[in-house]
Amino acid sequence: MDAIVKTSKLNNDEIFGLMKQFITEVIGEEFVEEMDITPQSSFTKDLEMDSIEIVSFSEKIKAHFGEQIDFTGWLSAMDLDQLINLNLEMIINYIQECQSSK
Amino acid sequence: MAKFVFIVPPLTGHINPTLSMGAVLIHRGHQVGWITLDPDLGAKLPEGGELLLIRYNESDQQKQDSEQYLDIITKKIVYGIDSIKFLYEEVLIPLNRHSYEGIAGWLEKYKPDLVITDHQMFAGAIAAVNQKLPYVTSVTAPAAIKIMDELPKVHEWEVNQIIALQEEFGVTKSTSIACSGLLTMVLTSKEFFGELELAPNYHFVGPVINRRVIKTEFNWDLLHKNNRPKILVSIGTTFDHEHKKNFFAKVIAAFGQQNMTVVVVSDPSLFDVWPDNFIVQRMVPQLELLPSLDAVVCHGGHNTVCETLINGLPMVVIPIAYDQSHVAGRVVRVGAGLRLNFNRFKANHLLEAVLQILEDPVFKASAMKIKQSFLDAGGTEMAATLLEKFSVNEPLELSNS
Repeated sequence: MDAIVKTSKLNNDEIFGLMKQFITEVIGEEFVEEMDITPQSSFTKDLEMDSIEIVSFSEKIKAHFGEQIDFTGWLSAMDLDQLINLNLEMIINYIQECQSSK
Repeated sequence: MAKFVFIVPPLTGHINPTLSMGAVLIHRGHQVGWITLDPDLGAKLPEGGELLLIRYNESDQQKQDSEQYLDIITKKIVYGIDSIKFLYEEVLIPLNRHSYEGIAGWLEKYKPDLVITDHQMFAGAIAAVNQKLPYVTSVTAPAAIKIMDELPKVHEWEVNQIIALQEEFGVTKSTSIACSGLLTMVLTSKEFFGELELAPNYHFVGPVINRRVIKTEFNWDLLHKNNRPKILVSIGTTFDHEHKKNFFAKVIAAFGQQNMTVVVVSDPSLFDVWPDNFIVQRMVPQLELLPSLDAVVCHGGHNTVCETLINGLPMVVIPIAYDQSHVAGRVVRVGAGLRLNFNRFKANHLLEAVLQILEDPVFKASAMKIKQSFLDAGGTEMAATLLEKFSVNEPLELSNS
């Protein structure tokens, strides 16, 4: 059983790659090409994503991980300041946490 | 005959619907007043409307305070979720705190049968509760409610700001009273607003369009001279110069060489030269103009979006701040248009988007569907009828259907 679970676990780089892919899908490839997306990039200040774009991004994560993680629940528990400061690293860490607790 | 009072913030988009509702009430023989901080509102009121100006025994400081709220919202460049924090902390809460005494004073003096307060003028609701006057709420920016569905914690944060202010003025309650439990009129249709379970006190009356004729010169011959697509580009009244300059530079690059007529709402002096196919005016007779157009490019202000849809026109929405991102989300979801990101979009994206909504009939067809839902919701007459019912203390059984 352990082996099966382990193969489905993603490492940080893989999660980061996936995040970038979702961001690309939400805002469009040509915009992403001009951006320097790093784990420290914040959604509001650096990526200039507005609230609806953040909501669509979170829907993509939800669709990808399904029951595995409660991403919408995690996001909706954020207050305004946390949401303003939300960056990729926070999401990567959260997904890692969920994976290791399984 | 009943006596009504509207309590409005100094924001055009929130004031305009009350002018139409008030005009109908006056026409039906009622007495109607407007409580406001803005002395210029007097000139815009329908005939017979009373201006109830908030004035303090003014030390110069208080007078300055009053004036600063009139254009506070235009003074800062805000974007995205950040703007919600700015809106509450630096605009709505101080504005309401400053207005409370003035509102309370006018309610005591005017003795209305029914108070109609804007959903962002919660000081009006607080004053009404403290004086045991019945009040109803008009939600002039319905997307603001939608946030509670899409970003519940953000909504909770907003509510907490309101609750803290309520406590300051003696209303101890763990919920926001901004939206009246008696009647909260949501100025859109359920079809456009989208799925969200709301309590039965919420009633969708459709957009209340301000039909008042604005005396603005417009060169109609120039508009109709060419038989080519005609579009309107407007990003409303609340954004500052720098935002506008960047934005309209892209508009010029997008449409300057195109076979279309572009009506732009802007200060013409923003650029020395505008393309030949542009008609640029600081103000345009928007309601008279829309029936002659094929599409609209706007920032997602609730009024412009509703006016566009009630004319069955598709649009490209480029939201800047506040609830506009959510309004744009709705336009896309119902299929009546496309959205672009204000900071990221380039001239070619704008051109492509506009060509797409002009060429693909599905956008226009979706806009026509929303138009019908707006007409069915009843609009100004329906709103006025509801207000009359509640002014005589015989609340209708309301349903949200």
